[in-house]
Amino acid sequence: MRVWHYDGLSALRREPDLVADGDAFRLVESDRSEGPYRFADLVARDTVDGDAIYGLKGSTGWRIGFPGGLPADLAPRLPAPTRYGRLIDRIGLWPAAALCATFAAIAVGLFLMTPALVTRAVPQSVERKLGDMMAGDFGDRNCAGPNGPQALAALVARVAPGDADARVSVVNLPIVNAVTLPGGRIVLFDGLVKAAASPDEIAGVIAHELGHVRHRDVLESLLRQLGLSVLLGGLDGHVGGYTNALLASAYSRDAEARADGFAIDALAQAHISPLPTARFFKRLSAGEDAQGIGRLTAYLATHPMSQDRASRFIAAANLHHDDRPVLDADQWGALRDICSADPKARAAGFRF
Amino acid sequence: MHESQGNKAFAFSGDWREFAPIAFTNLLLSIVTLGVYLFWARTRERRYLWSRTQFIDDRLEWTGTGRELMVGYGLAMLIFVIPFGFINLVVLNSAVMRGHPGLAGVIGLVLYLAVFFLTGVAIFRALRYRLSRTLWHGIRGGSDTFGLAFGWSYVWKSVLGWFTFGLIVPWTMTSLWNERWGEMSFGPYRFRADALAAPIFLRFLLFYLAPVVFVFAVIAVAVFGVVAGGLGSWGTVPNPGAMPFVLLAIMAGFYLLFFIVLGVIALVFYSAYFREAVGALRLGDLEFSFTATTGDWIKLFAGNFALVIFTFGIGQIFVGYRNWTFFIRHMHAYGEIDLARLTQSTTRQPGQGEGLLDAFDIGAI
Repeated sequence: MRVWHYDGLSALRREPDLVADGDAFRLVESDRSEGPYRFADLVARDTVDGDAIYGLKGSTGWRIGFPGGLPADLAPRLPAPTRYGRLIDRIGLWPAAALCATFAAIAVGLFLMTPALVTRAVPQSVERKLGDMMAGDFGDRNCAGPNGPQALAALVARVAPGDADARVSVVNLPIVNAVTLPGGRIVLFDGLVKAAASPDEIAGVIAHELGHVRHRDVLESLLRQLGLSVLLGGLDGHVGGYTNALLASAYSRDAEARADGFAIDALAQAHISPLPTARFFKRLSAGEDAQGIGRLTAYLATHPMSQDRASRFIAAANLHHDDRPVLDADQWGALRDICSADPKARAAGFRF
Repeated sequence: MHESQGNKAFAFSGDWREFAPIAFTNLLLSIVTLGVYLFWARTRERRYLWSRTQFIDDRLEWTGTGRELMVGYGLAMLIFVIPFGFINLVVLNSAVMRGHPGLAGVIGLVLYLAVFFLTGVAIFRALRYRLSRTLWHGIRGGSDTFGLAFGWSYVWKSVLGWFTFGLIVPWTMTSLWNERWGEMSFGPYRFRADALAAPIFLRFLLFYLAPVVFVFAVIAVAVFGVVAGGLGSWGTVPNPGAMPFVLLAIMAGFYLLFFIVLGVIALVFYSAYFREAVGALRLGDLEFSFTATTGDWIKLFAGNFALVIFTFGIGQIFVGYRNWTFFIRHMHAYGEIDLARLTQSTTRQPGQGEGLLDAFDIGAI
């Protein structure tokens, strides 16, 4: 049977006859004969222009082509061509795709669950040390004006009665924000205390942060950031950065909603009205709307604000009765002045 | 073997409808394998494009494999990217924190130059890999060197470029082109390239000076606007709060214009560079030429851009196909090949693919 042939040594195209003999064959021309070669050593290449083309194992450029396709009697003796890849060809495209998709989903799921699982495995004491390490920077800015700490303690005791882990402090920085550090340390910035219209508003913010403490959200999000940045670091910088930010913010929205739920329950049990908290959120988001871009407060940047958040607190108020203010006027005064009346607290002002 | 004047030496006979099943299954498999299949996808794409590309009397054949590409990528990650990331993150930061900014600067500079060196090596090796996996008449190409000399050349020519404020970039590009192609061969024949910088320097100057002209134009417009505003129209602006937005919109417009105009001017230069570079290439008695004009390049890029945008990114899977057909459509060859003397390449076949180049995310030719 006539084939075309390159021997891989020169570029001359030959047209020998393929003479089969059992599981081997020779390529015979009038003046020369090549082989024998074993059929099993042939490697199928892509069909081009209807020609079935085969290479030879371990021989670069050696090719034979069957014009018009493979003869039926030879077909069973020759290996099939690879199409998508050897493994996928064996299983079939769609089953392979389904199988891979399953594995991919499991891998992604495992990866996304890992931070939550690892968080649960980290002992509280280790988390506490980590938090103290990070809070070290705030140490000399902690405020303790006359009766301030007592007022703060009274407030925390109302919001979270019997919660020994709650460690709340006010730091002398003019930022309208509150952060929770690993290990249950909650830091209110003086700017937020000053921006609050009533102690009930502060109570709502603290209850929200206590929700983060209870769910160990902070450690989990730190671990997630770490994992994502390691994994996505391999990607092109921009893609990695965007994906990272998107994934992280999706998780933070969930965590925020959970912490709000915790805060609503805590306020209800403590008989503190949730309405001031809703008003506080509204004031913050109104500030965002009315003043335009660039007036975003720090609190909004880390606690994405939406109409829903305030509405949830307002809706919860329907179930409340006999609410009492969380602090009396004297205590509220002491808390407001916790930083300004403390000569030892490092003055506001950035040293970076 | 002769190429007559009427017939093009390079011809592409593929069809995007024939390619589409390959492209879409590649996309599917790449997604469900979280990107691992990309190496095989690239291989399948090249196998198709090469097999539909005729040079004189026979098709090209791509013999590379997905596994090679994956191993190459893995090696590049293991040997270079991870250690570099470690040095960059840990060593540099700790040097700065321990109060050795000078030491950190030296490490940073060395690291930067090393990345340049590896980029050069990567460009060289990717070209070598592609030639070694391209068959024509059963014969492949390759190179006897590993690209280390080219890597150094890439470093010092780039550094020299900085010291001359980028003015010698055309020379850098052409001389590096000549250098890397001069090390390549196909069968027993060595490529030769003698591209010159002088014919393309004027166009480069246009690109070089355009930003300067543009900045002056923006300043002039801004000054004119303020002066005109001061003369009266300022008071009639109904809402002063809207001014920042108007200014912002103008700035955004200039920004966009800047990149479009600069992009087009860059193509004015690049099209000339590519014509010069390919036109200066020889293989045995073969000469090559490339005929794409600036307009052709603009159409290619605008088409690719539209293809990706209007399909919400899915059109990306056809960009490689478009680029290849563009390349083949404008590629010409003249001269003779003696098939009897075209024997198999004796160069060492590289074991793995374009890993370094992938790691640095740059193109080969």
